[in-house]
Amino acid sequence: MSSLPRRIIKETQRLMQEPVPGINAIPDENNARYFHVIVTGPNDSPFEGGVFKLELFLPEDYPMSAPKVRFITKIYHPNIDRLGRICLDVLKDKWSPALQIRTILLSIQALLSAPNPDDPLANDVAELWKVNEAEAIRNAREWTQKYAVED
Amino acid sequence: MGNCLKISTSDDISLLRGNDSQISGTQPMYHQGEHYQRELYSSTSASTTRTPSSNNRQLSDENQVKIAKRIGLMQYLPIGTYDGSSKKARECVICMAEFCVNEAVRYLPCMHIYHVNCIDDWLLRSLTCPSCLEPVDAALLTSYDST
Repeated sequence: MSSLPRRIIKETQRLMQEPVPGINAIPDENNARYFHVIVTGPNDSPFEGGVFKLELFLPEDYPMSAPKVRFITKIYHPNIDRLGRICLDVLKDKWSPALQIRTILLSIQALLSAPNPDDPLANDVAELWKVNEAEAIRNAREWTQKYAVED
Repeated sequence: MGNCLKISTSDDISLLRGNDSQISGTQPMYHQGEHYQRELYSSTSASTTRTPSSNNRQLSDENQVKIAKRIGLMQYLPIGTYDGSSKKARECVICMAEFCVNEAVRYLPCMHIYHVNCIDDWLLRSLTCPSCLEPVDAALLTSYDST
């Protein structure tokens, strides 16, 4: 693999020097394109109190194409499927090289605060979110307690 | 947003998986138990026919024409030299390197500036300004019509 682009080095340094509240991204010691990410569930969301692990990978042609991001911690959310894959426009067709690891992770954190069941990735979750939001939110809280809260 | 369901079985996982194999020796990346891993990996093997790199090398005629047209359009975007004036961006948001005085920069119709190589690489993929998402071709086409 070719040497690490200056942009990736700079982004990594800035992530370390000016961390985003509630978000932690650390490059893997063996692969500077692979980040171990932790996002805390936003306040006033069903994910509050949860600590969610994600993995983020910068592809060879980053920043011309978007980072690949996936939840590792199980999460009950209409836009995140069982495999942790995320339906988010800025990770797909709305990607722009002016976006960064930092802005992508902020977008994911915002998605936790504002689930969008009309653009589902997890169909069953989205369906319940639409027909019985209270129960869906209860499920999301339960999953957060079960999978995202360290004992 | 949109169209997520149609592409949900293909892309992300295989790339992460490819990465995973390069960093063997560290702790396991997947913590969800065996069932979860099996599911994840089987979805990877199901999509082996789709390899992005080979797709890129074998461009269809249609794509070649599209790219040729884009390169034609891009010629009309003015190139200038960075003069260091404080009103302009000091850093190219694509490579995150600071502009040097007298360095060649390309101006988009929205007046955002980038290193020529950086922005040309992006415009071949998308004719939009990375900073404001303004379509570049719309502005160019209207300027053709008026002349």
